Amino acid sequence: MDFVTMNILESSMVSLCKEMGIVLMKTSYSTIFNEALDFTCGLADMNGDMMAVADYCPAQIGGMPLLIKSCLKEIPIGEIEEGDVILHNDPYRGGLHTPEHTFFKPIFVDGEIMGFAVAIGHIAEVGGMAPGGFCGEATEIFQEGIRIPPVKIKKNGKDNVEVWKLLLANVRTPRVNYGDLRALIAAVDLGEKQMTQIYRKYGKEKIKETVNDLLLYSERRMRAELEAIPDGIYAFSDKIESDGIDAERTYTINVEVHKRGGEIIIDYHGSSPQASGPINATLGVATSAAYNAVLHMTDPTIPRNSGCFRPIRVMAPPGSIVNVDFPAPEVGGNTETHPRIVGTILGAMAPAVPDRVMAAEGATHCNFVFGGVDAETKEFFACYDLEAVGWGGRAFADGNDGVDSINGNCRITPVEVYETRFPWRIESLAFNVDAGGAGQYRGGVGYTKQMLCLNDEIICSQMTDRHLLAPWGLNGGTEGGVGATLVMKAGHNAWQTMREAYGKASTSRYSNVSIRRGDRVRLVTPGGGGYGDPARRDPAAIAEDVREGYVSKEAALKHYGYQEA
Amino acid sequence: MKFSLNGLYIESYTKCANCGVLIYEASAEDAARKKTHDGQTYCSQECVDWKIERDARHAEAAH
Repeated sequence: MDFVTMNILESSMVSLCKEMGIVLMKTSYSTIFNEALDFTCGLADMNGDMMAVADYCPAQIGGMPLLIKSCLKEIPIGEIEEGDVILHNDPYRGGLHTPEHTFFKPIFVDGEIMGFAVAIGHIAEVGGMAPGGFCGEATEIFQEGIRIPPVKIKKNGKDNVEVWKLLLANVRTPRVNYGDLRALIAAVDLGEKQMTQIYRKYGKEKIKETVNDLLLYSERRMRAELEAIPDGIYAFSDKIESDGIDAERTYTINVEVHKRGGEIIIDYHGSSPQASGPINATLGVATSAAYNAVLHMTDPTIPRNSGCFRPIRVMAPPGSIVNVDFPAPEVGGNTETHPRIVGTILGAMAPAVPDRVMAAEGATHCNFVFGGVDAETKEFFACYDLEAVGWGGRAFADGNDGVDSINGNCRITPVEVYETRFPWRIESLAFNVDAGGAGQYRGGVGYTKQMLCLNDEIICSQMTDRHLLAPWGLNGGTEGGVGATLVMKAGHNAWQTMREAYGKASTSRYSNVSIRRGDRVRLVTPGGGGYGDPARRDPAAIAEDVREGYVSKEAALKHYGYQEA
Repeated sequence: MKFSLNGLYIESYTKCANCGVLIYEASAEDAARKKTHDGQTYCSQECVDWKIERDARHAEAAH
């Protein structure tokens, strides 16, 4: 291996992927892109193996290889021309969920296809039964927005106008969608252009050889990491509280992690059959979640490419909550079930690598989506708003406070932008007290966001979790705080759940609630579980928590025996 | 996974009963690897073996 060239090439490709993301961020229209950064950019070889990715959204990073390989099964390499851009979002053939739109553009050098520039982004409005793409009560895919098999949105450098028309006729916000889709294309355009230059600079054969070495290097380092973990079968299970249809039912995620030498097999058999409501994960999600969990337990300096995924295998039974069959709904699988799968794998591996896992995190993106006609502009608006949660305590530190769930790595839209773009006033945004599970290292806390509706009507839906089942603690740590969504109608003075106010089956998953001018909505996000025996917590840390308002004096006394000096 | 004769839509989805990957009817590679066991379709012998081992292990644990 030529390590010098390999290192330079790897850094160049990762920088390019990051630059693709910056182009996407700066040219897109939606807050989910330009503020939350809910996208990922990468470069693949002609077999669909990832050569490099930028560290944006882990759910999409792990989903990329299956997505591209699935497309290549349907569009043979020989039918792909220079200047083509392929679009795909189909959850049943490699996709993650309907909002996740994947674009890839072939990289041609001297008439030979060398690979692909890839961009995946979460389009905020995709049609379907609810504005904003998350229909908490969907019972089939057709309610969840437009489904796009692998199609060429550009052919030989020219727009495929028929595809554009079809896409934009099926969403509520065509102007904004057009801008976002163009931004994704701009990202792959940049990737294709600059990667072509890299191929010309080093030569095709040198790049091929070096990329092979790079993937092998990542694979070897990942296998070495796995070999250091004791062999065995590690099992764990967790429960999801509802599917939005049957609010009283819980759904099991079951994992057996088989650690054998330098490989790891994640077997999900024993998980619940697929749900009626939209909490089902696709195979792409189940695969990506397995990759995500393993990456969290291993050396973060291993170059992220398909090489480090080679030692990881996934067994996801069809027709289950971790591998949905057509035409069951699936939109929450990518945002809610993915982090729960990761948490379940980390829980299983806790006995083997206690210093590399954490207690349960909030494991929801809260997914408060809304839309309506703006009273001033008369234009339809839609927003996919994600919110942050507390993460679990670890063997060496407290959980993070107010961070996007483990598969998102997204930012929270700033209050000022939120109020500028949408007809809400944010009346308060504050960390929750006593929401992090107690422990030697306490769980991170979530927060409460209170909003006042400034439009005649805003149609709201939500796909969240953890209203009933709290994030578990680990190794003696206690549970983190649960979340809630509450509404106070104009002229009233009592907060109600969506079930109480609108008769919804579930408090955490619902669709098309009509919020009127003067109504208030309060989003409470869950905290993380604590890690280790609370009795072992550093007294100085307890005092600081009380002083800073993370823990009340009463809770400090209850969990830690704390007495103010 | 089976496409219609005109290739415009999917007629049926076939997944490996163990690992859950799609098995493409038109793929020679998939066709060469796939196996049938106890009336179910698997993407490979490896997945059949895995299923048998898992069943045996769980049966033993239940006793």
